Amino acid sequence: NSPSPLPERAIYGFALFLGSWFGFMLYLIWAYVPETWLFSLGLTYWPQKYWAVALPVYLLVAIGIGYILLFGINMMSTAPLNSTDTVTDNYAKKQQQKKFQEEAIPALRDIPISEVNRMFFLPEK
Amino acid sequence: EEWWYRSASGARIALRCRQHSASCRELAVRCPRLRLRSLSAATSAAWLAAYGLFVLTENSMVLSAAIIIMLVGLIIYLHFVKIDQESLLVIGSLGIQVTSSYASGKENTTFIEMSQVKDVVINEAIHMQKVIYYLCILLQDPGDPQGVSEVVPLFQSSKPRLDCLIEVYKSCQEILEQRKMAPQSS
Repeated sequence: NSPSPLPERAIYGFALFLGSWFGFMLYLIWAYVPETWLFSLGLTYWPQKYWAVALPVYLLVAIGIGYILLFGINMMSTAPLNSTDTVTDNYAKKQQQKKFQEEAIPALRDIPISEVNRMFFLPEK
Repeated sequence: EEWWYRSASGARIALRCRQHSASCRELAVRCPRLRLRSLSAATSAAWLAAYGLFVLTENSMVLSAAIIIMLVGLIIYLHFVKIDQESLLVIGSLGIQVTSSYASGKENTTFIEMSQVKDVVINEAIHMQKVIYYLCILLQDPGDPQGVSEVVPLFQSSKPRLDCLIEVYKSCQEILEQRKMAPQSS
């Protein structure tokens, strides 16, 4: 799973490059060439030219709304002030207490909020 | 006994602490009152807009509708939205009472028994686009002595800043500590 270049990746990349150029040229031809010329060539089954302008506009408006939507989704999933998710969660409830050993660094754990408050806000006498 | 602080949004609030007895304390936070100049500014702006609309549409219903909407809106705002004072009454052996009084005189009271109260802490959480400190009561989970069943945030409308919250926290902790020592002293 390393990101180093491989022959297969080079081939996929080149195929995508050619494919995207071909698709872009096809889109330009469909948008600009008049319908009569296309009909005279025998190519009659195309979507309406209206979509050549409509689809990019739809895409850009969707991207703009996506910014606002993401902001709104973030605000909606923030825990409200009265939920217990601001204080604890499942992992903290189920944590096991390791035994205290002398001369060793204490094990990492989730300290309860009452203890943290006492340490911060009540001055040590 | 009254100290001036600032709320999270910058408004000046006043904290008043009264000690009724050794184990009973009342802490009240008073929000700034509705200013006459902001009220008249808002009223004149709304009525000027309504008059402009009346000049455009030649319909006199616009004016009476604006007047009625302003009056009804003001009454609803004073009765349901604008909080005048929020107070916390901590009685050592009995419980904690939280009162909010609105500008129209209405008072909302909630009482929490001491056996349900696990602790009163200062918590920090994301609110809108800021991180604010707020005081909250942690309620005990009946099944689990270490667990928290519910969080009751206090001073929601006045939103005092950390310096005011620390004072309230220290006051509450002095009383809450007594209940831990009481069973041992008797």
